[in-house]
Amino acid sequence: MRPRPVALTVNGDPATLLVEPRTHLADALREQLNLTGTHLGCEQGVCGACTLLIDGKPQRACLAFAVDCEGSAVTTIEGFDADPTMAALREAFSAHHALQCGFCTPGMLVTARDVVLRLGEIPEARLREELAGNLCRCTGYVGIVAAVQAVAAGRAPQPAAVPLVPEARRMAQPEAAAPAAAPAPRPAPSGGGNSLTERVAIAAPPDAVWAVLSDLPRLAACLPGAVLDRVEGDRVTGSVAVALGPIRARFAGSGEVALDAAARAGRLRGQGGDAGTGSRAEGEIAWQLLPAPGGSEVEVTLGWRLTGGLAQFNRAGLVRDVVRRVAQDFARNLEALIAGETPPPARPIGVLALLWGILRSRLFRR
Amino acid sequence: MKSAAFEHLRAASIGEAAALLAEGETRLLAGGQSLGPMLNLRLARPRRLVDVKRIPALRALAADARMLRLGAGWTHAEIEDGVVEDSTRGLLRHVAHGIAYRAVRNRGTIGGSLAHADPAADWLATLVGLGATVTIEGRAGEQRRLAVEKFCHGAFATDLAEDEVLEAVELPRLSPQARWGYHKICRKTGEFAKAIGIAVLDPGRGLARIVAGAVDGPPVLLPESSAALLASGAAAAGAALPEEVALRLAHLPAAEQALRLVALRRALAGLAGA
Repeated sequence: MRPRPVALTVNGDPATLLVEPRTHLADALREQLNLTGTHLGCEQGVCGACTLLIDGKPQRACLAFAVDCEGSAVTTIEGFDADPTMAALREAFSAHHALQCGFCTPGMLVTARDVVLRLGEIPEARLREELAGNLCRCTGYVGIVAAVQAVAAGRAPQPAAVPLVPEARRMAQPEAAAPAAAPAPRPAPSGGGNSLTERVAIAAPPDAVWAVLSDLPRLAACLPGAVLDRVEGDRVTGSVAVALGPIRARFAGSGEVALDAAARAGRLRGQGGDAGTGSRAEGEIAWQLLPAPGGSEVEVTLGWRLTGGLAQFNRAGLVRDVVRRVAQDFARNLEALIAGETPPPARPIGVLALLWGILRSRLFRR
Repeated sequence: MKSAAFEHLRAASIGEAAALLAEGETRLLAGGQSLGPMLNLRLARPRRLVDVKRIPALRALAADARMLRLGAGWTHAEIEDGVVEDSTRGLLRHVAHGIAYRAVRNRGTIGGSLAHADPAADWLATLVGLGATVTIEGRAGEQRRLAVEKFCHGAFATDLAEDEVLEAVELPRLSPQARWGYHKICRKTGEFAKAIGIAVLDPGRGLARIVAGAVDGPPVLLPESSAALLASGAAAAGAALPEEVALRLAHLPAAEQALRLVALRRALAGLAGA
């Protein structure tokens, strides 16, 4: 994307930054205005080193795009020379040895000034909570807390906000919110950590279900987001598209499928990678077809290992929820296929789907 | 740790934002406090972002004797500070205060959090606990309303169609007798919850809801415990909890269930003391 001009006020002076949309405020300030007092640690909003004021409120400069700050007034650590509260904090930080390497200090000071002005004198426990969004990897919190306490001592909090009076108007009433119909309980999973078992009911006789489960291309067509590229003997290659909220990934890879027609069971082992998120997944999916009242049941056991970018996001439970939804979509698609309906259009599925997709591609190839 | 390239547009109205969404590969950007890290980690690589922060309709505020309608664009900090009215006798302000850190609360919005639908986020569980409603607007200005418990389908999945925008949340106006308890378990202050328990009791409205949040999917309402709370009080609800947690959170491993049970018990204890 081409850089475009963004006009804003920085430390009281008008400034125009020439930025790509993806450039966050901290990079723009550091690289174009040489305001290197704004430090960058994690660039994901956790460490607090880049905290500065946007329109008078402390915010993360790594989580605000410069183009989004058009018309805003930004105050960096370089802009507090005439600020009496910041002067008192600088003095106290020095007196209490509240910095060692100094990397966290600009963000720490901006946060501390806001706490002092907004809350006044508060108990130490509350102060530590308020400072929790700024990490000091020298672990010098004792000095930092003492310095902020010294400046806050005797200060009153800022007056409570007077709530805006909403426009009075009659509105449609919400749907009844009293204890709602009980949701259907979900069956207990077996396995823990990075493995789980999900049972999927399919409204079709076991023979018909096995016919699809043992036919990889047809099986793949039922798996949301899965594309089967090649089947050679028991080796399959393909890809699985994964969508988890704003996250999109396509894992391409290969695996081996083993089918046991007598037991109506199968197993797929495989691995794949997604270049976009720089992630790799490997895993195994095993499935067992069982007769059930009203049709069939497929018991699917999934085990996985995720590395790279997506793994940073690997809150194991989320995968479980995605797998649940993939399994539901799969069951629906499979029933439609068996009923002779057109296979539904492929669409991306959740992260679990990814793993499942990989497994699935193995599975279905025969 | 820099975002991949994207195009950035600013929508002046909900209709404009919805029309841009309909063109595909587009995400809305409100406060960006959840989306930002995903962009910087390059987990999310949308072709285009549409800034909705300056749409006046998303900052609307309206109320009547039974409810408060809060535009989706109000920030957590504004709710925390009482800049907008809290119709829930302090629950909204309490929850807002516990979200992430002040620097994040100053930019992140209640509507953005709901639309993002992280199962561990505070607002999703809270609004299900309150029996709140969301209002949704489409490309042609058509509006619909939906209970929050039907809005969330799963982790990061909502009922929003490709070309729909979350416009506002509608919160009940609790009566002076109403009480609530909210407990969140985190390993570190400000991080996403490991478990959330919420209990709301408003005998005047016949409202009693106990909800387990941060359960990897949509928040789970516990109707039997809720009914016990309304009929016989917090102790009876507490007695009903273990069985109902085992039943309705059966999809979680035992240790994870235990964590939710603790959060729910503490929420009930908060209710008694409120």
